[in-house]
Amino acid sequence: MYDLKVTVDEVQGFCDLPMEEGDHFWVKGGRIITPPGQGVCLWALQSMMPFFPAKQRVIEEENDWIPDTKRLICPDPNGGVVFKIERLDPQTGEPLEEKGGKDPPPRILVDPDKCSGCRACETVCSLAHGDSFGAGSSRIRVEKDEPAGVDRPLVCRQCGDAPCVKVCPTGALGRDPETGAVTVAEEKCVQCGKCVQACPFEGIFLPSADEAPLVCDLCGGEPRCVKRCPTEALKFGNAGSIGES
Amino acid sequence: MSFGYQDRVLKVDLTDGSTALEELSSDFKRNYVGGRGFNMKRLYERVPPEIDPLSADNVFFVSVGPLTGTSFPGAARVNFSAKSPQTGILGDSNTGGFFGPELKFAGYDQLVIEGQAPRPVYLYIKDDRVELRPAEDLLEKDALERQSHLMEELDDGRLQVAAIGPAANNGVKFSGIFCNQVRAAARTGMGLVMASKNLQAIAVRGTKGVRVKRPKEFGELIEGLDKEIREHPEYEDRLMMGTTKLISQLNEAGCLATRHFQTGRFEDADRVSGEYLAENYKKKNKGCFSCTIPCSRFLEIESGKYEGLKTEGPEFEGLAGFSSRVGVNDVKATLKGVDLCNRYGMDVISTSECISFSMELYERGILTKEDVDGLELSWGNEGAILELAEKIGRREGFGDLLADGVRSAAERIGGEAQRYAMHVKGLEVFQADPRGIKAYALGFAVASRGGDHLRSEPSFEFKEDPEEGQERFGVPESAFRLEYKGKGKVVNFHEKRSAFADSLEVCKNTISNMEILSYAEGAKLLNALTGMDFSAAELERSMERIVNLERAYIVREGVRRADDTLPRRFLEEPLPEECGPSAGSVVELAPMLDEYYEEHGWDKETGIPKAEKLRSLGLENVLADLKSRGILD
Repeated sequence: MYDLKVTVDEVQGFCDLPMEEGDHFWVKGGRIITPPGQGVCLWALQSMMPFFPAKQRVIEEENDWIPDTKRLICPDPNGGVVFKIERLDPQTGEPLEEKGGKDPPPRILVDPDKCSGCRACETVCSLAHGDSFGAGSSRIRVEKDEPAGVDRPLVCRQCGDAPCVKVCPTGALGRDPETGAVTVAEEKCVQCGKCVQACPFEGIFLPSADEAPLVCDLCGGEPRCVKRCPTEALKFGNAGSIGES
Repeated sequence: MSFGYQDRVLKVDLTDGSTALEELSSDFKRNYVGGRGFNMKRLYERVPPEIDPLSADNVFFVSVGPLTGTSFPGAARVNFSAKSPQTGILGDSNTGGFFGPELKFAGYDQLVIEGQAPRPVYLYIKDDRVELRPAEDLLEKDALERQSHLMEELDDGRLQVAAIGPAANNGVKFSGIFCNQVRAAARTGMGLVMASKNLQAIAVRGTKGVRVKRPKEFGELIEGLDKEIREHPEYEDRLMMGTTKLISQLNEAGCLATRHFQTGRFEDADRVSGEYLAENYKKKNKGCFSCTIPCSRFLEIESGKYEGLKTEGPEFEGLAGFSSRVGVNDVKATLKGVDLCNRYGMDVISTSECISFSMELYERGILTKEDVDGLELSWGNEGAILELAEKIGRREGFGDLLADGVRSAAERIGGEAQRYAMHVKGLEVFQADPRGIKAYALGFAVASRGGDHLRSEPSFEFKEDPEEGQERFGVPESAFRLEYKGKGKVVNFHEKRSAFADSLEVCKNTISNMEILSYAEGAKLLNALTGMDFSAAELERSMERIVNLERAYIVREGVRRADDTLPRRFLEEPLPEECGPSAGSVVELAPMLDEYYEEHGWDKETGIPKAEKLRSLGLENVLADLKSRGILD
């Protein structure tokens, strides 16, 4: 079992306690220890608590996601205090360099509350991927409920352990080694639609019964839809930054 | 293979249910570009003076433009045209949202709808599939519910619907066509034309896409325009408030239509302003298709009398129409008034004119309480105002008299009443006082569809830059709203810009007000899209052609210089003292008209286009027609 050091890595918003960058505490066994005279934000703490035992445990298995997850954000949307959790070396007591700890590649983050429903994202996507306009060739689609004022952009979330890739019976779906984006090898695709059914986010579409699915390719690392979005409902980055829902 | 255009016109005969396809000719595209241009060309040919607007012989046209459905910012619009049952002359109205692009994606540039269905139907178009389907069950519902109902019935979340509301079925002359819930093409009574044809709605879904000849070049041009828009000085205000920003601006200028144009300053403007709405009721921005300056807003009333009212909008016209124009200072009641108009499917400008007109007559004792069904029509009495709006929508009691529009109501009331009817050629005027904006005043005195600001939208007069006035129009005063000199030239320029926006079917906020897209840039963009070879000069000439064709249309209907006028108040009564910079102002119409006709090459005495002008624009058929009718010799 590891001991942990939890440090304020970044304050993205305004924290009135205040928690400041560099503030820290330790989780040793079943105890939380703060440096003399220092405290820790109760609300941030309660949101991180369930995570500490998971981070303390040692798991020997492929695809363990625990080492990847080391930055947590406080629950106050205006605060945006980001805590970094590090496992400590049992011998030296110093933070460990964790294997597999590199950040996942950035993806398209969506905030439906900001989306104006204009579908400008669809137009640049369809032009870039199909030399034409019309949602038939767009990899992002805005689902709308006009009476309720709901506009929801649907786009691939580039899941770490993507169900669409796993379920594909022919190996047509894979990952781009550079960007991490889900890829489709059209020649291997048999249009079975299993990927579409497997996606919990409606992020992969079959344009018609005899075409391969359409999925966001992140435009090779500079998504055009994000660039064009006039309300910042679309962002390119990692979850955990302010504004992601 | 077609690029930019779909090259297809769908013709539907409602009488026998038959449909036919026609290919767009390249001359038609070159000479009329799209949208409004396409509709006006056919309207002139198909609907002469002999045709009664409410008969089966009137023809209803729906057009999109070459840019509709593309990534051009705000390439969202669609024009609905026919002879107007409200004015008896040219009927035409357009709206944004998503209906236009979907029609384009279904593979059509224009619909030509004629005849009269034997029973209520809606037109369902899914790509090549075209059906007339029974619509009896729509009649019970309001204009907004009808749209949702068809989306459910056809089980298609991306279906786009253009629907009329109960007002149209009840015969209200200023009933409109509603898309995306509240996006209205409500001027000149196009909703009533649909109702007269028993056509309750058009539901469309398209999967064909719009092909681009040179995608890379087109994409780069759009990126440049996106950037220009984002860096425009008006960007932030427009994004926050859209057109509702005008309440504060016009009130400050002293020309906000207040208590039926009795003054230009509303003492409670800050309680009904765009700023106030944005701060207290705005949930988020809403946008038309492909708009990078999405200026519409989704609002919600969370407490009080109208709690639970959720709506997109309103625009400036609805906001001022149900606040300053009728003296209401509770913006929640204003939102309710606009919502009622939307649900009945009526034009907010015409409705608010009919109500405020009645209120002024009531104040002056021309109408008594007995005349108005016992309503206490005093300024700001929101209960009476909302009830009167409903009475109009249902054509009930006093509302029935107003439902034919203010011109007809004034004629029937008679006497002094006509003096207070704020319309031009039967179309009610908007929410800014023309005495404080002289180019707009001229613009709606001459507009081809009657008292309307959007045929010209001459926003140049707000520039306040004498050098630019000199440089562009040869008249320094042209850049100042209270001056009348040079306004004939300014309106001429902006009429073509508005025709440009309406033919491309894009938004006038960008094309007219923000002056995005010169004719040269437009030509380049169209060429990259279509592979054709438009030039800047040719495009501008096509716009002049459209303006002249429309003028010829209304001249053929009997319009002359004497009809290009304004309600007497604007010509005779100076704006009162409290109107600050606009105080003391009236509209100097005659000299502006002289300059305007001269600028157009139209006869100054009659307002009829001269033969050589028509000939120079290639309108020989029109010339021959006017000659054969003895209008030109």
